[in-house]
Amino acid sequence: MKDYFELQYVLTNRKIKEAGLNPLLGYVLGLIAFILISEYIFHKTEFAKYLAILTCLSLQFRLSEKNRTDFLLSTFGDKLKMKIRFLENFIICIPFVSILLYKSFLFEASILFLCSIILALFSFHSNINLTIPTPFSKRPFEFSTGFRKTFLIFPIAYALTVIAINVDNLNLGIFAILLVLLTSLSYYYKPEQEYYVWVHAETPKAFLKNKVFNASKNATLIAIPNLFSLLIFYPSEFELILIFFFFGLLFLWTVILAKYSAYPVEMNLPEGMIIAFSIYFPPLLLLIIPFFYKKSISKLKHILND
Amino acid sequence: MIKLIRLGKSYGNNEVLKSISMEFSKGKVYGIVGENGAGKTTLFRCIAGLESYNGEIISDITPLKNHLGLLLTDPFFFSKITGEEYIRLVCNARGKTNLEFDNKNIFDLPLTQYASTYSTGMKKKLAITAILLQENEYFILDEPFNGVDIQSNIVLTEIILKLKELNKIVLISSHIFSTLSDTCDEIHLLRKGEQIKSVQKTEFKSLEQEMKKITIGNRIEKLELK
Repeated sequence: MKDYFELQYVLTNRKIKEAGLNPLLGYVLGLIAFILISEYIFHKTEFAKYLAILTCLSLQFRLSEKNRTDFLLSTFGDKLKMKIRFLENFIICIPFVSILLYKSFLFEASILFLCSIILALFSFHSNINLTIPTPFSKRPFEFSTGFRKTFLIFPIAYALTVIAINVDNLNLGIFAILLVLLTSLSYYYKPEQEYYVWVHAETPKAFLKNKVFNASKNATLIAIPNLFSLLIFYPSEFELILIFFFFGLLFLWTVILAKYSAYPVEMNLPEGMIIAFSIYFPPLLLLIIPFFYKKSISKLKHILND
Repeated sequence: MIKLIRLGKSYGNNEVLKSISMEFSKGKVYGIVGENGAGKTTLFRCIAGLESYNGEIISDITPLKNHLGLLLTDPFFFSKITGEEYIRLVCNARGKTNLEFDNKNIFDLPLTQYASTYSTGMKKKLAITAILLQENEYFILDEPFNGVDIQSNIVLTEIILKLKELNKIVLISSHIFSTLSDTCDEIHLLRKGEQIKSVQKTEFKSLEQEMKKITIGNRIEKLELK
């Protein structure tokens, strides 16, 4: 079991190194980022405790994947496999339980701890052979595949909007819009295999234009229920609502362009830092978007034979 | 027409293609054979524009890549894309919209299922269907017969002959010599990145014998099977 966790530690360090960071620095930065983000979310919404529980359980859910647990079972045997799964879930829940305890949510922290232990007992098939319908099949790719992976987030975002209107909390409503846009943005984070870019009979300019156009159209389509509900119930705040929505779209464009500016390798620390800076100071986007656009054009020229 | 003039490719000091010159004419099918690591896939990737290279590649329709149907040895599929969506994606990429392919599902694939759940042979058949529906002028089929059932191999052979009839250029690599002798007009033999020889249809039999002799050598005797 010790060997297994040592191997996991080596693999994690390797991933941090691939991101261009010293592993120790990576752990410290990760911890700081976790604390800052948690503080921000707990400060902004009363639903933060549920978000913490959901995030923790979704991470543990991934570790309960059937193929993975079958591998652990065949390699280590039943007893050792259970120990490993308990320990894995325990390690994952430590930061989330700690933040809940720190915020005095003792009951929620206990529930999360209990759920983490119970979840270790089960395995789940992640590859259910059921095709989830999407409204994006006519122009498939990022949104059709991404929607299927994250479809549960959308009812949650719509429910948050209804709650926001009921409790008269516009901030929560705006958070729901941003949640939808942030989910859409996650579809564009990883670079696709080169064949899926090469196959396009387009210039880099037309390729990027279509990517940005389709992403904006599809993200707007998913966000429409949130957006219209808030505009109807908070007509006097329409400027604020639209500003947040358009900033969300701008970040979506930025991530698409950042992805192709690093293509075919994955976006790394420099791109991540530039995007992080622009979150704190959005006007920077006016410089960042053209910068990533130019870099993307030059990266795509070769593969699109322009 | 596609013409390769002194095509070369190196990865650092490792020269994987050495001054390859070939000409491919319309309405003909060409086989590229060679052992693993002979440079077949690299040659295909260079023609497709997926690799940088030395030398020159000329085609009568440009850019070549926009009119090329490329079947990779091991096609990649996203985890939550259905067969139908995959075909739409690669056809849309070539400006083909308003697709009606209910009658064109000649391999009877379960197109509403996720492509990632398909078997190796089904994945290959899906990728072949998609590049056929793109209506290309040139085709590169890297190991099209591998992993595909016998019935589909028969269909695939007929498809290749139909493409030839339609005046397309088809390049195929295969480890199964009979599939090449059934479809090709000319076969190019590569060894360690070098173009060893080019053989016309009438000489295929002797090429097969020669390849057998070189490949097998005295390996079987070495086993000392009892």
